[in-house]
Amino acid sequence: MSARPPQAALVSLQGHYAGSVSRLAAYSIDLVVSTAVFVLGLAAISWGVRIVTGHDVSWNRSNIVVAVIFVIWQFVYFGYCWAVSGRTPGMALLGIRVVRADGRVLPPKQGVLRSLVFPLSFLLFGLGFLGILVQHEHRALHDLIAGSAVVYSWDARAARLRFLARQAELPEADIPSPVGVRTDTSS
Amino acid sequence: MRQAGVAAAFALLDPPLVVSTSHPWRVIAPDPVPGHTDCVNPRDRLRAVGRRVTDPAEALAQEAAERVIDLVVNALDVNELAARVDLNALLSRVDLDVLLKKVDVDALLDQVDLNALLARVDLKPLLDRVDVNDIVQQIDMDALVEKTDLAAVIASSTGGMTTEALDAVRSGAVGLDRFVDRWVRRVIRPKQPWPAAPPALLTAQAES
Repeated sequence: MSARPPQAALVSLQGHYAGSVSRLAAYSIDLVVSTAVFVLGLAAISWGVRIVTGHDVSWNRSNIVVAVIFVIWQFVYFGYCWAVSGRTPGMALLGIRVVRADGRVLPPKQGVLRSLVFPLSFLLFGLGFLGILVQHEHRALHDLIAGSAVVYSWDARAARLRFLARQAELPEADIPSPVGVRTDTSS
Repeated sequence: MRQAGVAAAFALLDPPLVVSTSHPWRVIAPDPVPGHTDCVNPRDRLRAVGRRVTDPAEALAQEAAERVIDLVVNALDVNELAARVDLNALLSRVDLDVLLKKVDVDALLDQVDLNALLARVDLKPLLDRVDVNDIVQQIDMDALVEKTDLAAVIASSTGGMTTEALDAVRSGAVGLDRFVDRWVRRVIRPKQPWPAAPPALLTAQAES
């Protein structure tokens, strides 16, 4: 894999406000993961009911009970992750985390509150998320209500060293130098 | 006859009461071999008399000089004297290069017991004054990784497809974040620069 090198300018971004793309990507991953876990959970329940009662249970997407359980599951998934560690699996993958507005560790209560007010940002065609783009601290509506912010937490410096180490191990001819990608490390 | 008797008496004295070569009686002592003539310097007697006067005078002068020097030295205020000396003018006349060329540094260092010297040095206050963070920040880590075996160590300890992919995804996302952010700022043109990070994290970064 010929990745773009984490440049020196990115090294100092740890602790800075996370941008919209990282947050959207993290939320997308979380949505996939939480839905997958939910479906697996329903499948496990169906299998258990069939083993115990001998009847097949079919889950319909339009079923109100399933919808309510799914919404509750979403609250549990995000609320638990934010309350315990300040990050969901998707956020961990993208290297971002939720902190208090002043930058300190997010208390569990604020994590739960953030998950409860999170749906408000979806109202009015997702206008609440516009704050991530135009607010000076990149905070969405649910961030402003819960007093939280999202920052980069991954160690880009270590990533850069790993990249340089990989390049140093490769023979000179094998290093790809695609157009537009800086291969020099003297920044 | 009397003169001969006195001469015999002096000759018998052992040890003689006076220096044998200078005493007038010894100088003009009669030749033991009769008929032989000696060369006798007639001024020797005068010289002997002069020495008898000058030797005690010389000793007296020496004692007087020592006494005077003691008195002068005791009366001198050395601090006052040192204060009047213009050391800058004095040092400006000293050619240190020539002086240092004459110093055998190797011989000087051979005489220095470094272990004893280092044992007397308290390193802790010395190290407390050293700003290690500043030193570390001056290290070019990129060049260090490229030029040393550290690259192999890092690659072998933290390498792997997962880590590599994760680094790529994260750095790509950060690049897109900055791209979008740059365009948004161009459109809305904020009057004041936006803060880069929450206050607590900014402070922590500044301290590190």
